[in-house]
Amino acid sequence: MKYMLLFIKNEEADLDEVAQRAHYAAIDEWFSEIGRDGKLRGGEELQPSNTATTIRFQEGRPLVTDGPFMESKENVAGFVTIDVADLDEAIAIAKKWPPKDQAVEIRPVVNHDDMPHHPVG
Amino acid sequence: MMTDPTAEAMNAVFRAEVGLICGSLVRITGDFDLAEDLVQDAVVVALQRWPVDGVPERPAAWLLQTARRRAIDRLRRDSTYRAKLQLLTDGWAPDVRSDPDDRLRLIFTCCHPALARDAQVALTLRAVMGMTTSQIAHAFLVSEATMAQRIVRAKRKIVDAHIPYRVPDADELPDRLAEVLASLYIVFNEGYLGSGPEMSTSRDLCSDALWLCGLVARMLPDEPEVLALLALMRLHESRRATRFGADGALVLLRDQDRAHWDHSVIAEAGALLEQARRLGRPGSYWLQAAIAACHAEAPTFEDTDWPQILALYGALVRLNPGPVVRLNRAIALEHVAGPVPAMEELDALRAELDGYHLYWATRAELLRRFGRLDEAADADRRAIELTDNPSERALLETRLEPPVIRALGANSN
Repeated sequence: MKYMLLFIKNEEADLDEVAQRAHYAAIDEWFSEIGRDGKLRGGEELQPSNTATTIRFQEGRPLVTDGPFMESKENVAGFVTIDVADLDEAIAIAKKWPPKDQAVEIRPVVNHDDMPHHPVG
Repeated sequence: MMTDPTAEAMNAVFRAEVGLICGSLVRITGDFDLAEDLVQDAVVVALQRWPVDGVPERPAAWLLQTARRRAIDRLRRDSTYRAKLQLLTDGWAPDVRSDPDDRLRLIFTCCHPALARDAQVALTLRAVMGMTTSQIAHAFLVSEATMAQRIVRAKRKIVDAHIPYRVPDADELPDRLAEVLASLYIVFNEGYLGSGPEMSTSRDLCSDALWLCGLVARMLPDEPEVLALLALMRLHESRRATRFGADGALVLLRDQDRAHWDHSVIAEAGALLEQARRLGRPGSYWLQAAIAACHAEAPTFEDTDWPQILALYGALVRLNPGPVVRLNRAIALEHVAGPVPAMEELDALRAELDGYHLYWATRAELLRRFGRLDEAADADRRAIELTDNPSERALLETRLEPPVIRALGANSN
């Protein structure tokens, strides 16, 4: 069963350089642990939401706007996909996410192998 | 032989059998949603048939057979379920006992922290106790449609998010058990606080919660907080007969007739608390039960061991520093240190508890101690505005009547 973990960060909080180094060291450690167990299916850290561009469709016509889809102090700062047995295992991994000032949203990934007639999207 | 079924007798059968059947069907089919629906269907059919035909001699076999017939009906209509139908036919075992008891897994799945608390409560009552959606909706004062939607959503999440069907490992057990116990206590409190002097619902939620907590205690005999919650429920239950006056108004602890408390139940609860204490560090339910035991064991209100109660509330505040616990601690503080420090504490809690009726009722009592009668009446009026519970309203309204009328009212009973 695949889950995406979305890391939600308060972008107004800033870390100094020392804290930043410790932050990345702890995250590297977390990545290598789930990587070692063969559960990691990729993921990325994202640039802050002030770099985001959103496309909406108005009567079918694409409209390009500056900013994330929803204005908020808290934004998605990164994501990973993991492949584990069940929600409990996903929760156990998410609980170990090192930055304790962030939130982790766990979303089950749709398995298209189970629904052959279901198109993507 | 058929027996004439009262609602109570049928409920006892559902309690004893439904969780076992549902748990084994989840295990056999691997599909919580389907298994739970089949058992619920069987319960609904039983509620129609048994009052006419009587309770069958082997009710578990009857429920299983009915669930199985429903399964076959339903699965025939849906080809993707063929494989599951096969499982039901092959794996069909009339013996639903298993080790560990399937009901423990069932309860942990229903009370998974990824489900909202109200959904946890509803699912547990349905899957483990055999309550119908309509009975649960009635007990929790929401429409049947709302309750049905709540249950459907929760079950869909169990399936779609792969919430597992298992007893949590030792390292997760304390947190997961806390979820289960919180749900059980909600069921109990709904029965205890929601019920008036006469019972109108067909299910007595207090006795359901006690039964379920007893079941969890048998399945997890070394968990002190389970025993403590059981003791806490029993202690509340021991005073049940004295909680309402002839006029239906709530009777305060201080005015209850202690001769009519059930002292054998109080003694049993004391033994449970002692057993729990030997198993581990006092948790939140242990402290609450110990406080209830102090009250229950006092021969008169004046003999209450308030310093002990204040110390227990102190420990509870450290463990669980919520405003309601601090409000209760303030009441104990008044009996130990007088009304001035208690009022200081109440003033500090005002912002957090402004919308809580018992805050205003407590404040009114305290204001009367100071002789500030007009302010006390205002606080009581505020408390009345904030509660819908008829027995609590009746008590508060009595306090607003002038003393002469109150005396006449008392004489007329």
